[in-house]
Amino acid sequence: MLDPAVMMEYMPAFWDGFIVTAEVSILSIIGSFIIGLLIALLRISENKVCRFAALFYVDIFRNIPFLVLIFFAYYGLPEVGIYIDAFWTGCFTLSIAVAAYVAETIRAGIQNIDKGIIEAAKSFGFKRVQIYTKIILPIAITSSIRPLGSVFINLILTTSILSAITLGELTSASKIIASTTFRPFEVYMFLVIFYGVLTFALSAVIAGWHKYLNRYNEA
Amino acid sequence: MIEIHDLHKDFGDLKVLKGVDLKIKPGEVVSILGGSGSGKSTLIRCINGLEKITSGSIFVDDFDVRNKKDLMEIRKRCSTVFQQFDLYPHLSVLDNIALAPINVLKQNKKDAKIKAMELLRSVELEEKASVYPAQLSGGQKQRIGICRALAMEPNYLLLDEVTSSLDPEMTAEVLVILKKLAKEGITMISVTHEIGFAQEISDRIVFLDEGKILQNLSKDEFFSDEGGKSDPRIAKFLSKMGNQ
Ligand SMILES: Nc1ncnc2c1ncn2[C@@H]1O[C@H](COP(=O)(O)OP(=O)(O)OP(=O)(O)O)[C@@H](O)[C@H]1O
Ligand SMILES: [Mg+2]
Repeated sequence: MLDPAVMMEYMPAFWDGFIVTAEVSILSIIGSFIIGLLIALLRISENKVCRFAALFYVDIFRNIPFLVLIFFAYYGLPEVGIYIDAFWTGCFTLSIAVAAYVAETIRAGIQNIDKGIIEAAKSFGFKRVQIYTKIILPIAITSSIRPLGSVFINLILTTSILSAITLGELTSASKIIASTTFRPFEVYMFLVIFYGVLTFALSAVIAGWHKYLNRYNEA
Repeated sequence: MIEIHDLHKDFGDLKVLKGVDLKIKPGEVVSILGGSGSGKSTLIRCINGLEKITSGSIFVDDFDVRNKKDLMEIRKRCSTVFQQFDLYPHLSVLDNIALAPINVLKQNKKDAKIKAMELLRSVELEEKASVYPAQLSGGQKQRIGICRALAMEPNYLLLDEVTSSLDPEMTAEVLVILKKLAKEGITMISVTHEIGFAQEISDRIVFLDEGKILQNLSKDEFFSDEGGKSDPRIAKFLSKMGNQ
């Protein structure tokens, strides 16, 4: 009954779904990284209000199920006159939600930096901004590449939830193929392998990148 | 000239510096001695503005450490070498040295790197230019720490127990460099536990005890039996540090 040949016919449909998944993933990784970095900086700001606002952000978005968030954005917001298509709704909500995790990861990276190094930089007369751009962020980001990698792999897996708002990404493409072929076993087996390969490949890339960026730590 | 007047520094309820008066003239080499917790590091950290002073004043070449703009100028004039080296781990040795000259003094990148290379040569580490700090021995790290400080062409070099985390052999290789600098006439304020070294390089010895200057004497006076050693606290300190 297992018939992989069925799959070949539907390769183009899979491929279209994959492209959408890839696009949403890439845009959301970039988006969540930028927002997350800003939130992380607010989290360690000297200003109490900024710190509180950032903590609030992190707590909120880590404690709302993503499915609820995406329903709210896609079906709820139009009620108040905000219309965004499924693709961009996916990108925005993913970026905003995952940014909470990115922020916590980068913050941990920043707080792990030896205080002496930052004081040394201060003593040499670097301005605050320079200390961040030349010292703190490069060290924090390279040291958190691995945990950031896990966050982004999770992001890619979470894109499958976007099938709930009828975005034609990989999972919803598979749903359609499964219902037209009546071969859910093969189709979803294929999907499982596909996500597996995708995240495995990304893990490998991250491991290599981690090694390259952290070459300075090798004694 | 560094002028410290009636300097007080508290950490909450803890009074660490309790009225320090000290003048350091250009070209002078001053060693600061004193027991653990007497406030030596705190004094150094007040000069380069890493600690905010509680009261009193510090002027470096007439710049006021309490004034934000002045402090930036002071930091260009005073370079610190740290006990734990505190090199930038993500930058090569050469970039560690050239980073502040390029970004703080706005030197041309190429010139800054050429000068960094010269400094590396002077401490016999030019072959380590492209290596990262993690790949260096402690003594090598501290020689880089000294290069990083010198690259700023500072008027004042602040040293806080720069050999305390080094074994004797590495200590020796760092002290050789500092002795040479002292001879060349750089102004140096050095906190140290190396009594022999202090005795060799210093013009003046300042002895700090519980946040106050107990003695501020020329080196010869300090180490004479009628001078510094006549004070029982100093005599006790020196004998504890292995100096008879
Ligand atoms: N940031 C700080 N907060 C609270 N107390 C501090 C702080 N820094 C230093 N102290 C305290 O101030 C006192 C003086 O410390 P300092 O580091 O200046 O001593 P020191 O003379 O350099 O000693 P050592 O020879 O051990 O290095 C100590 O009691 C120390 O615990
Ligand atoms: Mg100390």
